[in-house]
Amino acid sequence: MLLELKDIKKSFGSKQVLSGVSFRAEGGKAFGLLGRNGAGKTTSIRILMNVFPADGGEVLLDGRPINYRRMKIGYLPEERGLYPKKIIADQLVYFAELKGMSHREAVKAVDHWLERLGMMEYRNKRLDTLSKGNQQKIQLVTALAHNPDIIILDEPFSGLDPVNAMLLKEVVREQIAENKVVLFSSHQMSYIEEFCDSIAILNSGQVVLSGELHDIKRSYVRDRLIVRTEYPDNIQADFGKDCTVMGDGSLMIRLACAEDKKSVMQRLVDNYDVDGVKVFEPSLNDIFVEYAGDGADKEDVR
Amino acid sequence: MKQFGKILKFELKYYFKNKVFVGVTIFLVLLIAVVMFLPRIVGMIKDDGEGTDSSPSERSVMLIKAETPREEEAVRKAFQAAFPDYDVQITQESLSAMKERITKEEAECAFVLEGMTSYTYYVDNLSMHDSNMEAADSVLKSMIQTGAMVEAGITAEQAGEIMSVQITNDAVSLGKDQMQNYWYTYIMIFALYMVILLYGQMIATNVATEKSSRAMELLITSAKPVSMMFGKVIASCLAGMVQLIAVFGSAILFYGMNQEQWNDNPIVASIFDMPVGLLGYMLIFFVLGFFIYAFLYGAIGSTASKLEDINTSVMPVTMLFIIAFMVVMFSLASGDVDNTLMKVCSYIPFTSSMAMFTRIAMSTIAWYEIVISIAILAGSVVGIGVLSAKIYRVGVLLYGTTPKIGSIIRSVWKA
Repeated sequence: MLLELKDIKKSFGSKQVLSGVSFRAEGGKAFGLLGRNGAGKTTSIRILMNVFPADGGEVLLDGRPINYRRMKIGYLPEERGLYPKKIIADQLVYFAELKGMSHREAVKAVDHWLERLGMMEYRNKRLDTLSKGNQQKIQLVTALAHNPDIIILDEPFSGLDPVNAMLLKEVVREQIAENKVVLFSSHQMSYIEEFCDSIAILNSGQVVLSGELHDIKRSYVRDRLIVRTEYPDNIQADFGKDCTVMGDGSLMIRLACAEDKKSVMQRLVDNYDVDGVKVFEPSLNDIFVEYAGDGADKEDVR
Repeated sequence: MKQFGKILKFELKYYFKNKVFVGVTIFLVLLIAVVMFLPRIVGMIKDDGEGTDSSPSERSVMLIKAETPREEEAVRKAFQAAFPDYDVQITQESLSAMKERITKEEAECAFVLEGMTSYTYYVDNLSMHDSNMEAADSVLKSMIQTGAMVEAGITAEQAGEIMSVQITNDAVSLGKDQMQNYWYTYIMIFALYMVILLYGQMIATNVATEKSSRAMELLITSAKPVSMMFGKVIASCLAGMVQLIAVFGSAILFYGMNQEQWNDNPIVASIFDMPVGLLGYMLIFFVLGFFIYAFLYGAIGSTASKLEDINTSVMPVTMLFIIAFMVVMFSLASGDVDNTLMKVCSYIPFTSSMAMFTRIAMSTIAWYEIVISIAILAGSVVGIGVLSAKIYRVGVLLYGTTPKIGSIIRSVWKA
């Protein structure tokens, strides 16, 4: 299953929100849609979900325009919200029914997910009696109960404690293993890095970077080494201004060219008491700041 | 369609599980029961008492002071006959003493006669509905006329017969009898007004709550706006009708149980003597009128960002509806329901549900006028329903400040 957004354009009034957004997300893999607030993520997601039509471009599934009648989409919106005064099971069943399930199927699916997320005891309680984290788990049921083919999770980890975050990770991995398209949108780069094979970074309504995360990282010139050592002074004295101390106490050595990598690594291991040497790869956070930060200008990045 | 059914069911459940809705309905039914059983209850209490005739000591005192003492007894007798609820007493007290007795509530009122053709009436507080003076006028008139006839040689019996001649009359209305139709038309228009205002507000609040609790984020991605709008409006219409049927049904039922006790009350009897055909028109105009306003309220609810904004946002629609109600009510009270304004209002969809219904009930309307009015109303319901669903779809996604009408229209046009 391959989900593609091709050259999507959208404006509200005179404001152009999306100007030619394209990306592709594959089944069985997680895709990360990144961008700062107001970059156009939610608008892209809404167009993808057919909440409103795009002014231009198309949404394709396996090369053909997506059939919203057949294709089921699960959505966990960033702005969480259900009916606070209503019984949890009632509203979960209602949402599953709206997505096309029969009443019997919906009840069964809701009970399955409440059980899976350890929320069965709250089944017949009102939503507003639950803690924020538990409300979030209830919200997750609305995204998954109808067994969707495409799952869109907008900031799924915000507000979850580490134990619940782990539970959510397990659930997401299961969904990915079922060959579903899982689309993440988040500002928490560590989670994206952990889950997503490919990403797209949106800035001002345009995709400024997209592709396999591994390839993106690889594409950076490998001309920096990270050295972990208990005795940094000698190395610093040896490498002079090419050596800088990182935030975590390790050293970064800038090489004259990438080809020197092997010989310098050898030199470090032979001459100094080092705990580890590796080639520097930018984190997703670094990449994001580079492409979507205030100083980012897509014309001259890299 | 399947989705619409689910939404309808869910929304209906909202009403029927709502404690306030159930409570108010039960309260109204109980209230109707109390009112309808009142004459029976009052009758039972009276029967338990010592009889219906109250003794002179229990009756209010009416003082009479005549200038010529020889007339006093005749006047007292005539007044006592005309005012059976009073204990009529002759007095020779001074005016100030009489006034004092009235203010001390020892006597309720006093007639001070200056001859037979003039008097002054004294009472503590002159009530709006005080008809004592009219009654006293006719007593004195009849005494003078009888006296004159006796003087002219007619016997007292003959004079009595002449004075008590009874005219019988009967009115045959070839169209509608406004006197008979007035009360049930009034009640139905009022019911329509209350239900539309209450349920309209409820729909607007319901939509705004979904939006402010962000449940809308999920709803809008799960269901079509048209299904959601129609589901909500039809559910509230059904809930409103259930409430009306409960109230009117229990009224008819309890009236049937107490019909004998109510028979001497022409207003109540006329209300329950309503033609069945009119109920059919009531149903048509209720449903269509309800839909028009409910759609508007729903659309407005979707544009409000916060629940607090609802009251100000719905003001224009509420005002429009109140104006329509006032026009109809004033025309109804004046008796001229076929005035130009009412005729125009009968074809404007926002007013026709009340105006046309009133004219059908109170006047004679050609069938084609009714058909045209209903056709315009039904067409507008569809048009406004679709337009409202479009506003809804745009409105529910607009957060922040409440958008201006112009920007909504532009967005709807584009959508």
